[in-house]
Amino acid sequence: MAVSLEYVAKETATNLWRNRMMALAAVLTVAVSLSLVGTALLLRQAVSRQIGQWSNNVSLQVFMNADATSQQLANVRSMIAQTPQITHVSYLDHEQSYAQAKQVLASEPTAIQALTPATTPTVFRAQLKNPADAATVADTFNSGVPGVYQATSPSQSIHVMQKLTNVLQVILLVIAIVLLVSSLVLILNAIRMAIFARRREVGVMKLVGATNWFIRIPFMLEGLVQGLLGAVVAVVVVLLSNLGVSYLIRHYQVSVLGSAVLPVHDLVMTEIVVVLIGLVVGVAGSSVAVRRFLDV
Amino acid sequence: MIRFDNVTKSYKGLAPALYDISLEIQKGEFVFLVGSSGSGKTTFLKLLLREAVPDSGSILVAGRDIGELSHWRVPYLRRNLGCVFQDFRLLPNKTVTENVAFALEVIGRPKSVISSQVSQVLELVGLGQKGDRMPHELSGGEQQRVAVARAFVNRPLVLLADEPTGNLDPSTSQGIMKLLDRINRTGTTVVMATHDVGIVDTMRRRVIELDRGRLVRDQARGVYGADMNSTTRGVPAVVMGGGNDLLYDVDGDPVTGRVAAVRARRGQR
Repeated sequence: MAVSLEYVAKETATNLWRNRMMALAAVLTVAVSLSLVGTALLLRQAVSRQIGQWSNNVSLQVFMNADATSQQLANVRSMIAQTPQITHVSYLDHEQSYAQAKQVLASEPTAIQALTPATTPTVFRAQLKNPADAATVADTFNSGVPGVYQATSPSQSIHVMQKLTNVLQVILLVIAIVLLVSSLVLILNAIRMAIFARRREVGVMKLVGATNWFIRIPFMLEGLVQGLLGAVVAVVVVLLSNLGVSYLIRHYQVSVLGSAVLPVHDLVMTEIVVVLIGLVVGVAGSSVAVRRFLDV
Repeated sequence: MIRFDNVTKSYKGLAPALYDISLEIQKGEFVFLVGSSGSGKTTFLKLLLREAVPDSGSILVAGRDIGELSHWRVPYLRRNLGCVFQDFRLLPNKTVTENVAFALEVIGRPKSVISSQVSQVLELVGLGQKGDRMPHELSGGEQQRVAVARAFVNRPLVLLADEPTGNLDPSTSQGIMKLLDRINRTGTTVVMATHDVGIVDTMRRRVIELDRGRLVRDQARGVYGADMNSTTRGVPAVVMGGGNDLLYDVDGDPVTGRVAAVRARRGQR
């Protein structure tokens, strides 16, 4: 027996409208929780991209004294070449180093004014096989190698940041899960009310031999629509917040965060995940309600 | 059409609602199911609709053992069984036409079929002019006619009626009985549970009497009480019925014979 589309659409719409306050509560809760889920997912991707960017480009920087002799330079270069953990190295001479310093210190004009190409330290930028070795390797260059001003590894601060974002993510996800559970319960309750409001119809339908699925489908669909509507709102929220963050990063030219601007592909995948979760919550809520309260 | 083989049904912790019932109802029969409250009439109908399943024994409807039906086949069984209740069970927010059409819509009949069958059946029950009314605008008798129309619109093999006249005054009840009789004459089997002595005694159809779950009488062209003077159920049938004004046959003529004697006796009081 074909369930007519028109019938199902009409029933679902009527149910939603009659039950609109409950439906609104359910939809908004789904929206808030999915916005958090989406934000947490985007944050995770942005942070991992940015950290990947930082730690891949440079694991270790060896700053030379500005007046280091070419003998000292050659010495350090050969030391680097003999360090097995280092896979790749590049050298920034005075001009290049000065250019980079100008970029990094863009927000502090006085600091730039104090620099000239001649006084800017030259830098060896090394990539490590394993960024975790950075501290050890840095120590060998900091142990009084002539001409070396300082060897630094950015990984220390990256680790702290990584931990912080992990904690933030966990908090966001926990809140999101709690909200998802409550939205599931709200949807369940909304469907239960809808079933109660239509108990006469349901009774007659059973009596005259409507199939179980015929009776169930409008209620199932009602939950699905609530989940979907919430997800759509969340998609918009996530999209807007992503646009906002990207805009801020670009507008203030925070180039060190350049990689935190996510490519469209990642954004779309996240939004798809958000919509799927919304659908699952809607269907799960209404399935439970239909099973427990619709005696067919 | 309907066969009960040694059917027993009990509810948790109680004496059996039905005990070892075996009987057969032929196609086209009109059967009254009588007995005091709690005698098992409603359980009998519930088993037929498979709202309940017997503890033991089997029930055949149209040659099928309905105990064997898988869960998802039950709706298809119910399409063959029309149902009428004491409380009508109409949908208050739908018109008469919509109420009847609803029964066909939810089993997926096409629209064209629905509109022709609905107007046909409304004519049959005498509500051809009142299709646009809401249930609350109708009298009780008219509402029950709508319920009968809804039960019959799909041309079921069997029409089950659980005290269809229980809420109606005697003359209205008579109209409903005429209608059920007309439906019966189309070849539809009718099984009607009732307390209404007058109706049973007037119609003189097969009477199946249940007493505390047991089949105590199965009588062709029977009356409500086995013996008019007996007090087996505690109250003389005449007093119990309260429907003595309904001593007319289905065509509206006063019945003669025994019933007339009852009336005469009443007149003497």
